[in-house]
Amino acid sequence: MVDLGSLPIESHKLQAFVTESIKPLLNHVVVYGVGGAHFYISQSNKGSMVFGGDLDWYKSYAQRGNLPIVQDSAEAAMAILPCLGRIRLLRHWAGVMDMSMDGSFFMCKTPISNLYLNAGWNYGGFKASPASGWYFADLIANEQPHKYIQNHNLERFEKGINLDERGAGPDPKLHG
Amino acid sequence: MIRINCPYCGERDHSEFTYGGDASIKYPSLDAPEKEWTEAIFFRKNIYGKQLETWHHTSGCRMWLEVERSTQTHEIFSVKACHSELNKIIQKEKSK
Repeated sequence: MVDLGSLPIESHKLQAFVTESIKPLLNHVVVYGVGGAHFYISQSNKGSMVFGGDLDWYKSYAQRGNLPIVQDSAEAAMAILPCLGRIRLLRHWAGVMDMSMDGSFFMCKTPISNLYLNAGWNYGGFKASPASGWYFADLIANEQPHKYIQNHNLERFEKGINLDERGAGPDPKLHG
Repeated sequence: MIRINCPYCGERDHSEFTYGGDASIKYPSLDAPEKEWTEAIFFRKNIYGKQLETWHHTSGCRMWLEVERSTQTHEIFSVKACHSELNKIIQKEKSK
């Protein structure tokens, strides 16, 4: 293994939920984030409602869910779609998220030549995937970061570089 | 649900507590170089397995606790007060 020592990344868990299938209800993703609440929901091709919310705010590699987050997410679901009140959950699980300290990603060179880091996509993974591929390829091909990713490196904490993004450091538990 | 055995309140659900963070960090002196402070504040070993961490009993006695927990299984191995003097008093009371 490559021993880079420690990284400004911690593993946290994010829970997701799938309900039984219902007739078409939502034809797009709904994201909701007001105050401390955070919630997203969409409907799969098979008719299940797929939704999730906040992290658990404690470090974990265990891919398992728990009841407090079921309650939080169900409350948020009922707040924006009260018609879901009697729908039943089919599955519920937790995925391991690579949380960076400020909530932004890393796309940079490392102290080891020809080893590149592309990680910490905790909040932006799905949305940013297509663009991230372009910029990562560009970084590897030209050995030079594009101006859009030039500050997304491991030195940004030491240098105090502010990213025009979430800027929620220095701990993932403070992102809520 | 993780159950944390608070030395003052007894065993409670983790939803009563707030996660603090890594309890094994040794902070450098105030005049240490910036690099050492950056390491202590932002960089993590991200342990897979048993780690020392702090939890705050926010909906209970509001004591800060030092918990030894597995990040792999959530098993808890030990819980004690962060404050060493408070810890001594609790131990003394318990042994009565």
